[in-house]
Amino acid sequence: MHLHKEVEENKIREVFSQFEGKIIQKPPVRSHVKRVERERTVYKLEILEIKGREVLFKADVQSGTYIRKLISDIGEKLGVGAHMQELRRTRVANITEDKNLVTLEEIEDAIYFYLEKHNGKFLNYLLMNPEDIITFLPRVWIKDSAVNSICLGAKLAFGGIAKTNKFEKDSWVMITSLKDEFVALGKALVSFDEMMQLRKGFVIKTDRVFMLPNTYPRYK
Amino acid sequence: MEVIEISPEPTDERYGKRPEERTIEEKAKFAIINLDKPPGITSRESAAIAKKALSALGIKKIGYSGTLE
Repeated sequence: MHLHKEVEENKIREVFSQFEGKIIQKPPVRSHVKRVERERTVYKLEILEIKGREVLFKADVQSGTYIRKLISDIGEKLGVGAHMQELRRTRVANITEDKNLVTLEEIEDAIYFYLEKHNGKFLNYLLMNPEDIITFLPRVWIKDSAVNSICLGAKLAFGGIAKTNKFEKDSWVMITSLKDEFVALGKALVSFDEMMQLRKGFVIKTDRVFMLPNTYPRYK
Repeated sequence: MEVIEISPEPTDERYGKRPEERTIEEKAKFAIINLDKPPGITSRESAAIAKKALSALGIKKIGYSGTLE
């Protein structure tokens, strides 16, 4: 954040703390969403460094929070105005800067090592399996006999479930094979508790299929 | 997250493959890359550069998620 005039450090810290919690934002003119005021939660603002008019800070925010807007609003509240100088995302869900982060040059090098030197170590490191990334959704592990029907878009019935995490009605769930392979994403038609009472019927509506049909045999 | 057994059964090793056993070619069919995008170029341009490089492996489609503002 670049302040348009110098402000006392205490004042900056005080105003920053006022912007933690629920805030109201109107998406900027150049945005891809409807420009109506919306509420977002700022989980945490942490000032890392203040040097003259420059403020370096870390923001943990709800998705859809405009940082550029947050900065200009903080600047306005400080009475001097401010704008965003640089922005870097350090985390989204469980993907962080230390999780197999690579540059474009490193991708090119990894491909070279693999194709020319037959060394797949680097490429293997940078290509992450979706199963290791989508860890924030509840999983439902299905029997081998249920896999192919899900690949063809069928709903998942109670009888096809081997084990499961708990889930809420209408929530996204990851449908997984017993080998922990990502099969599909679906939406829960009932909650876990309702499912355990009924013990029959459809549980998950398949939405997006990732596994190719016929990876597993057809159910006989 | 807690795992609740509903109807445990073994899996047939003849079908499918555990994620950690995938070859690079198999992984490349659907993988996620955590890219350290340099400032100054757009996400779209970065994805295009990555696609050009990865096309040597037969990768045809690439996308990105999450715009940062």
